[in-house]
Amino acid sequence: MSSLPLSRRAFFKGGKASRPDLDRLNPNWPTKRVAKLIRNNLKKNSPIYHPPKVDELPPVLPVTHSTESLQVVDWDMGAARHLLCRTMFGPKYPEIKEASENPLETELSSILSTVSLPDPPGEWVYEPAPQWDALTGEEIQELMNQYREWMGELRYWWMKGMMRNPINIQEMITLFWHNYFATAQSKVFFPQAMYQQNSVFRQFGLGNFKELLRQVTFGPAMMIWLDIHQSKDVEPNENFPRELLELFTMGVDNYTQDDIVEAARAFTGYRTNGVETNYSFEEASGSGPWWNEWHDFEEKTFLGQTGNWNGDDIINIIMEQDATAVHICTRLYKWFVYQNVDETIVNEMADIFRNNDYSITTVLYFLFSTEHFYDENFRGADIQNPLTLMQGLIRKCGMEEFHFSLYYFIHSQEFLGMLPLEPPDVSGWPGYRSWINSITLPVRKVQASSVITGQSPWGNFDVTTNVRALAQSMYDQNEEGYASEQIVRKLGFLFFGNPLSENLEGRMLSVLLDGAEPYDWAINAPPNNPQWDRMRDLMVYIMRVPEFQLS
Amino acid sequence: MKRRDFIKSAFALSAFGTQVPVMALGRKNQFGRIVQWDTDRIIVLIKLNGGNDGLNTIIPTQDDIYYNARPSLAISPNDALTIDEQNGFHPNLSAFHSLYQSGNMSLIHGIGYPQPNLSHFRSSDIWVTGSDADQYLQTGWIGRLLEQEYPDFPSNAPEHPLAIQFNSANLLEFKTSGSNTGMMVFDPETMYNLINGNYVAGEDDPAPDTYGGTELDFVREVDLLSFEYAEVINETAGQGSNSVEYPETNLGYQMALTAQMISGGLGTPIYRIYQSGYDTHADQNNDHSNLLLDLNNAVLAFMEDLSNQGLLDRVMVVTTSEFGRRYFENGSTGTDHGSSAPCMVFGSQVVPEMFGEQPSLSNLDQNNNLFIQHDFRQLYTSIITDWFGLDTEISTNVFGQQFVTIPFVQTPLSVRTTPIPAKFKMHPAIPNPFNPSTMLSYTLPNNGNVTIRLLDLRGHVLKTHPLGKQNAGRNIFKLDGRNLASGSYIAQVEAAGSVLNQKITLLK
Repeated sequence: MSSLPLSRRAFFKGGKASRPDLDRLNPNWPTKRVAKLIRNNLKKNSPIYHPPKVDELPPVLPVTHSTESLQVVDWDMGAARHLLCRTMFGPKYPEIKEASENPLETELSSILSTVSLPDPPGEWVYEPAPQWDALTGEEIQELMNQYREWMGELRYWWMKGMMRNPINIQEMITLFWHNYFATAQSKVFFPQAMYQQNSVFRQFGLGNFKELLRQVTFGPAMMIWLDIHQSKDVEPNENFPRELLELFTMGVDNYTQDDIVEAARAFTGYRTNGVETNYSFEEASGSGPWWNEWHDFEEKTFLGQTGNWNGDDIINIIMEQDATAVHICTRLYKWFVYQNVDETIVNEMADIFRNNDYSITTVLYFLFSTEHFYDENFRGADIQNPLTLMQGLIRKCGMEEFHFSLYYFIHSQEFLGMLPLEPPDVSGWPGYRSWINSITLPVRKVQASSVITGQSPWGNFDVTTNVRALAQSMYDQNEEGYASEQIVRKLGFLFFGNPLSENLEGRMLSVLLDGAEPYDWAINAPPNNPQWDRMRDLMVYIMRVPEFQLS
Repeated sequence: MKRRDFIKSAFALSAFGTQVPVMALGRKNQFGRIVQWDTDRIIVLIKLNGGNDGLNTIIPTQDDIYYNARPSLAISPNDALTIDEQNGFHPNLSAFHSLYQSGNMSLIHGIGYPQPNLSHFRSSDIWVTGSDADQYLQTGWIGRLLEQEYPDFPSNAPEHPLAIQFNSANLLEFKTSGSNTGMMVFDPETMYNLINGNYVAGEDDPAPDTYGGTELDFVREVDLLSFEYAEVINETAGQGSNSVEYPETNLGYQMALTAQMISGGLGTPIYRIYQSGYDTHADQNNDHSNLLLDLNNAVLAFMEDLSNQGLLDRVMVVTTSEFGRRYFENGSTGTDHGSSAPCMVFGSQVVPEMFGEQPSLSNLDQNNNLFIQHDFRQLYTSIITDWFGLDTEISTNVFGQQFVTIPFVQTPLSVRTTPIPAKFKMHPAIPNPFNPSTMLSYTLPNNGNVTIRLLDLRGHVLKTHPLGKQNAGRNIFKLDGRNLASGSYIAQVEAAGSVLNQKITLLK
């Protein structure tokens, strides 16, 4: 296996050879002077850890291809858990129970409904870009420190926000689109732009894909990230058109190099200062002196169609192609289901997508209704990404209101490999098995256990999970059997995607009981009873077993 | 935090539930034993988890109250294996019987603490934290003990685990105020097979035949390789062996693994083993008998194994339990929670006597339970001061007061049998760790022949340098490591009729 064992030497290697985040910086933007400072500041930080990609696909197993709607009888606790864990961060046991007692359609309506946007992290999101040339070197450095602080606030705000939504997909879809249109703040540099992109994901993430694509493309973040704003008719920049075609819409082999060149000519003349752009959504065009000067107004032939195309026209043509729907649905499938793609399902999704004006809500509604989605194969097939793992865990344990330190949230993600706003490159995080190697796995365990122990490599804290409340939230007095056994089963249900094996259940029970008999354990024991210490031991044990990593 | 600092000072967990830092360089102290590495003493503590019924372990063969109070459970004087007039072993403890008679076992009656608490959890907590019945301590007695040797723990920790616990996720016994000195091995059988190359991930608990199962297999494999002390344990325990067959029970695996680690030269001084099932509220006869048989066989195998390998002098085995059980049986032919119970100590360095006597079954405490004769902290204090030879100040710091020892340890920390001439000394090698060479230096009291040897950690001689006659006073020898693999070795100087050793490390 390529990721095992990872030598610590390789892990620490942060030399010049491995700083792509420095190499992709534009040396002239926003000004030469500022660009130099940006570069120097970045150099001072340790490189973000990006776990090496694990290349091999797992073997294909027989899974139902049924696109029929899930039978009512199959909509049970297991199915509800599966759906909720894929669409939100950390559903709690009572929430799963309640969902399983409502019809699937009701739950899907809640999950896919549009909810209000959260308040922004601060007024700074409206700060205009400065006049760099009017600032002294000191002032620039100070502003950069300010930007760095705001970027941290943005991250914290987002990570905290992941845990706020009850049964709704907004947070998960935002992360999905962040991975899809992967944009890194180390190059974008303006926190306002990163915020704007994040709010675009929230606002447009469930609607019509073309509109989302437009909003993302012509936002300041993407324009900087893929060099759209540098693209001029005299030297069109192919970066964006290439990724547009390859990653965001049609996928490789559906276009030629010529198409990229022509599309690059169309994507010229757009400009941003990091916060504002020269693009008008109403006119679907750039405007102003820069546009007039640098846009290529000549004829272009793209995917067999000729005209005086601009960026919007290119997008329109792409959205007419069949391959587009297939590619987008494939990526949706891979995130929400599994990395081995089921062609039958994806083709059906693509049809629905095309026939419904590329409505993301509609295609997801379809996917989440099929028997295929609820196939037993997919239970526990998701190696949780570090954000889902940690934020989901915090919420499941009822600690979502606790004010964790910025250090705790963010620096842990630097280590685990999914620092929000800093994907390794435009193809997003490789994900799946690459999250787990001999360096990250022990840290995932320690960091997870911290919600019980209050100790993490990134800070200690006093308030930890109220295990008694957790147990009582799961307990049902109408169920037969000892409370201790019931709690063990339900903890296994809540935290493991795979069905709880007899062996593991037995071990968990012996950890909880620590030599006592099942009847020695009482659901109503007072909070200072040492049996709750054993439950804390059990929680930590749960977070150490391999099964915990999977959802 | 810089990644470098994180790795040095933070925790890392593995499948086996360790909470230990990545290895750092060793430190000189009693446990580090860099200069006198072959005089390590080791304690193996076995918790009889659930509350062992002491009265059916060491039977009061003359006590009528016992026989009247336990019509179905009492063991007759004929069945019991006679120790003396008043005492007999449970019939399944034949090995203990022989060990006692051959002088390798000590018996201590009536171990407990004042105001006994009859809750498993609370009483266990009292034992592991070494507290009074009304105190609630958050650290363990072993944690507080080790913390005095390693105040910065986990910084500057030695290469080996300080303490290893099997089969229980509760690490409170090793907890310090800032950290935890215990390494947990939750699955001794897995670990045993892992070290000996027989392990197949998930063999005993196969993953389901689904994508979920496929991914689980993957995570399990990584899990094994992330095991934090994998290197040192594989190196040392991997070189160790068992010279006898152990029972194929959970307890058997724990003890086999412990013996293998000791045999391989792992420097860990403290092992805590758990044998569960002693909470015999109902149908005690079978369950308790089977447990004792298992204990008997496992301990016997362990003693034989260590004896065969010449390691027994360094090791002592002690059984403990969170409480004993009531002297009368209940309506389900079992017994309920009690207070004190005997502890058993095994080794070649123990005083083969009985300390205390069969408890009175008529003179009982307010709960109708047995009075204690020894506080468990006396037992632990004796281990700290007599067995490990540490200062009484250390044990006082652990328990907050000084407890009178129970004199079951025969000899203090072992001294050399051959006195070294006052002036024959070996000085620290410089540099150490080294690459590619290091300077060994030693002082001779007189002119004489000197031989320098290089050994591996198991004591096998790799190289011999007969130096012939050397002058009195300080001498230096340059040791070249260019043809050696990275790792730790023992540099040995033989002169003036004695041998001195020193551990050196080659880091390429």
